[in-house]
Amino acid sequence: MTTHKKRVARGVAYMAAAATINAAPLFAQDMEPQYGGELIYAQSGEKFSLFPGRNTDNGAQDIWLNACENLFEINEDSELVPVLAESWEVSDDEKTVTIKLREGVAFHDGTPFNGEAVAFVFNEAKEKEFIYMSLLEGFDYADAPSENEVAFHLAAPFAALLPNLAYKPLCIFSPTAYQEMGEEGMATKIVGTGPFTHEEYVKGEYNLFVKNENYWQDELPYLDSIRMLVVPDPATRTAMLESGEIDRTVQISDFDLPRLEANPELTVRTMASTRQFYVVLNHMKAPFDNQDVRLALNYAIDKAGIVQSVFAGTGATVPMAPTLSPGVYGYTDMRKDGEDSIFQYDADKARSMLTDAGFEDRNGDGTIEGEDGTELSFKLWTRRGGTKGDYQVAQLLQAFLGEIGIGIDLEVMEGAAFSAAVSQPPEDAKYEMALLSWGIPTADPDEPMMYFTHTKAWKPKGANRMFFSSSEIDRLADLAHTTTDQEKRKEYVVAWMAQLLEEAPVIYLPTIHLTLGSRSYVHGDRILATDNYPAVSAWIDQEEKARQGIKR
Amino acid sequence: MLRLIVSRLIFMVLAAFLLLSFLFALFHLIPGDPAQLMAGDNAPEHLVQSIRAAYGFDQPLTTQYFNYMGKVLQGDFGLSNYSRQPVLDIVFPRIVNTAALAGCAMLLAMTTSLILGSFSAMFWNRPLDKGVTVVSLIGICTPVFVTGIIGIYVFAVWLRWLPIGGMSTWKHFVLPVATLGAYQAAIFTRMVRSCMVDALSRDFITTARAKGAPERTVVFHHALRNALLPIITLFGLGLGHTLGGSVVTETIFNWPGLGRLMVDAILSRDLPVLQGSIFFFAIIFILVNLIVDILYTWADPRISYD
Repeated sequence: MTTHKKRVARGVAYMAAAATINAAPLFAQDMEPQYGGELIYAQSGEKFSLFPGRNTDNGAQDIWLNACENLFEINEDSELVPVLAESWEVSDDEKTVTIKLREGVAFHDGTPFNGEAVAFVFNEAKEKEFIYMSLLEGFDYADAPSENEVAFHLAAPFAALLPNLAYKPLCIFSPTAYQEMGEEGMATKIVGTGPFTHEEYVKGEYNLFVKNENYWQDELPYLDSIRMLVVPDPATRTAMLESGEIDRTVQISDFDLPRLEANPELTVRTMASTRQFYVVLNHMKAPFDNQDVRLALNYAIDKAGIVQSVFAGTGATVPMAPTLSPGVYGYTDMRKDGEDSIFQYDADKARSMLTDAGFEDRNGDGTIEGEDGTELSFKLWTRRGGTKGDYQVAQLLQAFLGEIGIGIDLEVMEGAAFSAAVSQPPEDAKYEMALLSWGIPTADPDEPMMYFTHTKAWKPKGANRMFFSSSEIDRLADLAHTTTDQEKRKEYVVAWMAQLLEEAPVIYLPTIHLTLGSRSYVHGDRILATDNYPAVSAWIDQEEKARQGIKR
Repeated sequence: MLRLIVSRLIFMVLAAFLLLSFLFALFHLIPGDPAQLMAGDNAPEHLVQSIRAAYGFDQPLTTQYFNYMGKVLQGDFGLSNYSRQPVLDIVFPRIVNTAALAGCAMLLAMTTSLILGSFSAMFWNRPLDKGVTVVSLIGICTPVFVTGIIGIYVFAVWLRWLPIGGMSTWKHFVLPVATLGAYQAAIFTRMVRSCMVDALSRDFITTARAKGAPERTVVFHHALRNALLPIITLFGLGLGHTLGGSVVTETIFNWPGLGRLMVDAILSRDLPVLQGSIFFFAIIFILVNLIVDILYTWADPRISYD
């Protein structure tokens, strides 16, 4: 074994390409952290089971990260940093990755965290087909070569293994608790090694976490407890923050931000997320099989206009690369010199490209027709409220495409019905166009490359619901998937993005921002590149809290 | 009377079971797959399948139906699809919370409307009547979420007198009860006024006045008693509306009630929780109607069910 041994703790060059991130400093520079107090945190709530093997919901991830830790974490600077791991080694054939684990760590139920426990979690995940197994493609089995080591045995080299292990649902829960309670028991109680123990779960109301006195990181956490309230309505969350009823919240309306920023008792932080809107074009239906038409549609959309109108100019950014966003490994600004976004808005260019492709207004009614006289008119499926601003984005798409003579009917669907309708195989997929968004919770390009645009990822096998197929795109994705030489891998990622710009499988739209609002007496909050908000290092300035008249 | 109560209770059980069957069919007819929702839009099919198997969604519908109905007959409403907690443990606290909210709001609405409606009728077409009419029309035209948000910003954010979310102290009741109650009060006031104006124009009122009865006795004893029949019907319907309409108030004030639970269950396709919620919602509706029917006999002795 051991060829290139990598000491993670020294600072990882792995994710170095990283990111233009706006994270505020972790601590107020001139203040000593204070111990004690309860942080009341309101979020929209977990929708499904709390058991990490059956859920990837963002609300649940914020719950796990208090109680259940991963081997690695992708921090706010998009660096892969060890959490329960200390270092790793890769075998000569790159098919075995051995991870040295942190010593002296225990689960909340008192059982030891060791190689056997980690191996159990991943072997169980494979056997029971936990929901995240698509991220561990090629994972064969895990074993424990020693008390404090776990070895991942792979069928083929897998470059994204480590960043994927940082994805929150892959946190290491207690095998003993799992065997005692089963998935059903762990649906309401998560037992891990985290800084807080999960004490109470009241469905749809709150989760209570209490400080883990035996936490392995000395001096952490600072807080005595965290009460996570479920408050689905963003306007209510914002009002509760302003009134001091809660200490922090997320997903604040972009139009409320200027008011909140002007309030000296509040701290509002915004950073780019990895979630990018896009319009699925069903390539099984003409004319979306025509590359020129797809390119024209991309030029027809005023991305900067969407950012201004729907997201108040601050809640999103124009797309600067296809699919990948700042913070994702391999991300590179793919805009042409002097342009504000990829496919910079140019309605005239869009019209002329459509004319070249055989689509023009032949009867002077303002609508474009094909050579056979058929009007270019489509249905655009969308949700309302699935992702912030989705319906408003759909309305603007209708207007922009209408400007170049393409008729769009909006079909608004309820979330569950929409999800089912856009998850059909090619022969059953009824949609022509559908507005969706894509997030990259691992901050690694492997998932989008292998599951978004790859031919073998056509729905229902993956997330290629365009039914797009390109041998060059597939080739570059396969190379990046298996290459562990990170420089080479980045080259493949950039080439993949360039090819996407050539072929335009979807309409690329803005990337939304994340917001974290808190009372100004809360310090040490973090926003990870993976769209999570840990409170392990958060603390409360009690004096300032009292000064603001918050008495709880 | 006893026959009425027994027949209504039998009807209640039948209606509830028909409703459960209808809901079961409806829930499986509408598009949307709980396993797909859990797995996320981008999950591959084999993982969606593994969730279906893990949670029993892959069993034949008839098996799922008969298993469910058989358990319901034994008082077992099953487990939530996701939290795996017994449905009754989830639903009962929510019923109590919603009943507390709706009950207080109805009490506020009934008291306010009886007073304002009666005085409005007494001073018919005079400034007091016109003032009450304008205020109640504004109340009817203002959606609950607008009243709620204004209340939140004035009393919770600016003045910091009252809390916004939860229900742990009496202060938590003030804003949601006032918001929900004010809307109902506005509707009731218009109706009470109308019924009272009608009653006050009857011959027996002229007779009462001719006998020299004080105006207070004329209005609150003779007229109000005779106007009560339509008002009781209205309050019965109003309670149904308040229960059903409480979902908006519950959302704005983060009230852990049945309405919010049902919306969450629909959106996440948590069928056992939804069925349990609607079952008890229906029972409450039927019981309220039964109480209204019984109250008729008290309000108007001419009505008899025997």
